[in-house]
Amino acid sequence: MSTLQPLQFYFMHFMPYPDVAPGRPQGQWVDIPNRRFDPKIGHKLYKEYIDELVLADRLGYDGLVVNEHHATFYSLMPSCSVIAGALALLTERAKICVFGTPIALTYPHRLAEEYAMLDVMSGGRLECAFPLGTGMEYWVNPINPSFARERFREGMDILMQAWTQPGPSRYDGEFYQYKYLNPFPLPYQKPHPKIYIVGSGTEETINYAAEKGYGYSQVFTPIAAQLKSFENYRATATKNGHVPDSESIIISAMAFVAETEEKAIEEGKEHILFYFKNLLKTDSHLNSPPGYLPVERLRKRLESGAVQETEVTWEGLTSVYRTVLGTPDQVAERIAFWCEQAQSSKIILHLHVGDMPHWKAVKNITLFAEEVIPRVRKLTSLALQVAAE
Amino acid sequence: MPVFTKRAVLVDGIRVEVLEAGSGEPLVYLHGAGTTSGFQDILPLARSRRLIVPIHPGFGASDDDAGINSMLDYVVHYNALFDQLDLSSPIDLIGHSLGGWMASLFTVLNDRRVRRLALACPAGLRVTEHPTADMFTIRAEQVPAYIVSSPDALARIPSTDLTVDMRVGRYRELTSLARIMWDRNYDPKLTRWLKKIGVPTLILWGTKDRIIPIEQAKVWASLISTSEVDTFEGAGHLLFFEAPAAVSRLEAFLADDRPLRKAAS
Repeated sequence: MSTLQPLQFYFMHFMPYPDVAPGRPQGQWVDIPNRRFDPKIGHKLYKEYIDELVLADRLGYDGLVVNEHHATFYSLMPSCSVIAGALALLTERAKICVFGTPIALTYPHRLAEEYAMLDVMSGGRLECAFPLGTGMEYWVNPINPSFARERFREGMDILMQAWTQPGPSRYDGEFYQYKYLNPFPLPYQKPHPKIYIVGSGTEETINYAAEKGYGYSQVFTPIAAQLKSFENYRATATKNGHVPDSESIIISAMAFVAETEEKAIEEGKEHILFYFKNLLKTDSHLNSPPGYLPVERLRKRLESGAVQETEVTWEGLTSVYRTVLGTPDQVAERIAFWCEQAQSSKIILHLHVGDMPHWKAVKNITLFAEEVIPRVRKLTSLALQVAAE
Repeated sequence: MPVFTKRAVLVDGIRVEVLEAGSGEPLVYLHGAGTTSGFQDILPLARSRRLIVPIHPGFGASDDDAGINSMLDYVVHYNALFDQLDLSSPIDLIGHSLGGWMASLFTVLNDRRVRRLALACPAGLRVTEHPTADMFTIRAEQVPAYIVSSPDALARIPSTDLTVDMRVGRYRELTSLARIMWDRNYDPKLTRWLKKIGVPTLILWGTKDRIIPIEQAKVWASLISTSEVDTFEGAGHLLFFEAPAAVSRLEAFLADDRPLRKAAS
């Protein structure tokens, strides 16, 4: 039975720098040799990546998603607001989702100001997802990881106060004191843009999102674990008087579409493997700085063998994670299935992955928009009809 | 040789483990940033004294205390614990590394509670030309080579990274450490405060300390006018583990009954 609202397709870009440093078993974060960055290559990549996002807007995607990481070949976006600012002016209709700046790593009032600017500049197209930030970010920003969670929550309180209470107001917290909290401008959307919390399955984060009535999204964790998190989220949200709908949960998938399944695998597989083996890879020293994880959470991680430290296999990626390569029919079938399975009507697609060249990304983004999205809509509306009968 | 007995003591609602050995006048040892290597090396001190080794909140078998996030919080904790243990007359206090920072700040604030002070390669000072190593950036597998110097001692270091329990235990202690010194592994004000110490103070240091360089010893000595320094050739940061002579030196210092209190200059 389906209770899904009309599906929304969001295209997300990580903006990687594919010329990674060789011989780094610890991955491509934190202590990378940054002299490897070539600004001429960087300039070319920014143009291509922004073109891909703008193309997605023209092709009818419902949203564009950008995120933020620091000191890593994984991402050329140490500030997602800079890219979102460009998109606000270069695009016409898609939502712009900042997925986003870890609020603990910046001044909360400043993020409230920047996001308000983006919402006004885009005419009310901003959506905000708030991550704690990976453990790696806390090595390269001057913020104590052992207070990251407390600082995150205080930051969220300040941002919400800034957006919802008439200014000026005062704020007196553990980390920040404001004599005049008074952001100007304020968001275009009232009371404020849609808010999501990005988690990795930690129970307290799920509960936080559910209690506050924010949406929830979970990144790079096995599907089964996500489904369990979503169930907990919905139960807790309901218990707290909120009415979670299918838009409250965002899921994500990697997809590559081609004329035949063989061609899709031939063209897409290597880039997805590159992403997992090179860009996403870290080790526990870098991804778990002291205090970043609750101690018992580290125990669970060590006992289960987190994805980054075990050997990546193609079979694992395609069975445990939402990864699909194939014809439009095959891809559409999987996407519809995953949305139904998670009871989510909002799906983020990773259509440029790893070291994928521009032409392939353009092909993939175009084929997905023109051949897959209509098929998924048909499949889910059929399911709706069946459910109604 | 005496042996340690363990007991739990409740301080402000937090259960801490206290190791004790021997009898006689009390002698308190404040440990460093890790408890996994144990305290066997200082047991000889218990032949003539009541040796007390309290485990800091957030370390070893002691509970976490969510309210502790500064060195001052630890000092306040020890004031309460010493009351609990009825240590009413001035005690001899030893601190190793992190515990040395703690013991020195304790003495600054509780001058009359301390009779003699011994600091083994203490942390806490900012010495720009010879900085203390950043424990957080040292990978687990590199730690042994940082904390001892000789190949013999290195071979005797137990690995702390073999089981999930060990790794979780180490992560918990590093978390407790991060709560008080992620940003800075020193307190810039300590330079000013140490000048208030007026009790006889022994500063012990290994010449091959890779965590807190031996060069910091003379800075401590210049700040505490009532101090003397002894160094141990070739020893690393786990001083008592690597240099039994340092334990003997400590015994002699503690047995010394020359007039105790000098005026701070």
